[in-house]
Amino acid sequence: MPCEPYQNALVEAAASGLEPQGELRAHLAACPACRAALAQEQSLFSSIDTSLHAAVNVEIPASLLPRIRTQIAEEPAVTRGWIPSWLTVAAAAAVLVAFIAARPLWRTGVVPAPVHTASNVSSPATSVLPPHDQNLNAAPPAVTNSAPAIRTAAGGNPASPNAMPEVLVPRDQEALLVSYAEQWTQRRRAPLVAANFDPTNLSLLQIAPIQIDQLDVKLMTEEHAQ
Amino acid sequence: MQELVLIQPGGTLRSESAREAAQAETRREFEERLAECGPLAYRVARGVLRNSADAEDVAQEALLRAYRSFDRLRDRNRFRAWLVRISFRIALDRLRSAKRREQRDVLWSQPAHQPPAATAEDLAASSEFQLHVDRALAELPEKLRLALLLAAMDGHTIDEISTLLVIPVGTVKSRIFIARKQLAEKLRCHVNLTKTR
Repeated sequence: MPCEPYQNALVEAAASGLEPQGELRAHLAACPACRAALAQEQSLFSSIDTSLHAAVNVEIPASLLPRIRTQIAEEPAVTRGWIPSWLTVAAAAAVLVAFIAARPLWRTGVVPAPVHTASNVSSPATSVLPPHDQNLNAAPPAVTNSAPAIRTAAGGNPASPNAMPEVLVPRDQEALLVSYAEQWTQRRRAPLVAANFDPTNLSLLQIAPIQIDQLDVKLMTEEHAQ
Repeated sequence: MQELVLIQPGGTLRSESAREAAQAETRREFEERLAECGPLAYRVARGVLRNSADAEDVAQEALLRAYRSFDRLRDRNRFRAWLVRISFRIALDRLRSAKRREQRDVLWSQPAHQPPAATAEDLAASSEFQLHVDRALAELPEKLRLALLLAAMDGHTIDEISTLLVIPVGTVKSRIFIARKQLAEKLRCHVNLTKTR
């Protein structure tokens, strides 16, 4: 009787631990060799199971749990909340990126405190000039002194209606500048400018004439002849 | 150097005591689970390493890691599954490094120093066969190995293994079946050799 087709079925029957069914069962009833082979396979699987069972179902060492309890007691406290989850880190990163991206816009929309660097300024003269285009709502008047250093906040657009330029101002003029800034933030620009406008303080802009040397012009024909 | 701290007046004592209470609660909750799950960690490690001392070390390390991360485990009902994975992973790492350190193949290459075993129990109990099983088990894919080890543990039904490994029941059955077949293929020649001697 050919036994070859039943070899895999024998192994699978032994591996599953179930009784052979159907055609295999009929073959086993008529084939002593396959019955012996099945018994051998079942013995092998039984040996494996016994070995695994003996390996994993061992007595727990009595020292294990006390050792762990001692170590846990010695551990520093569990740091609840100090180690953020990845979700928290991702959310924080997103907020940070959004903040950095929005920062230039935010800076141009806020009136910063005036920067006082009076120690670097020698001239005490400070004046408030009206804008030359008389567009008081479009651009804030510039607070200037004789020092040439005038900066706008964060390089922002000085034409912005809310922007307050950063200026260099002598120390004794700080109060004036603060007062000016407060009134500016309260949108009292036109009265402010009108009240402080003093045409006598204006001086004409002096521009030296441009010096241009006399041009030495040669005709191309002469140059070519030479 | 003077350390500067940000203090919220009136809130410090309350938050400190609340934090300590939360830590005490966490520790108490973990210790409750320790009695229940400590043996599981040890047995998983023992199944992989086949060495009691190493298994104890691995179980201890796994449980300490679990304790340190206990607060981050949102679903505490999955603690057992989590611990099984930690223990299995640490045990595998230790097994690999141990293999690199020492060549245990001396006994493997000299299998004929034990008398032949007659019954399945005798065969399983023989150190020779045990070594073959250890070797064959170590060669199994990790997923199959863990499923087989859990199935061999007392008190683990297929449903429980499914819960522990977070896989369907059918997948558990399939893994156990394949694992046993692969083990048998690796061990068959040694059984025949033993019986024919």
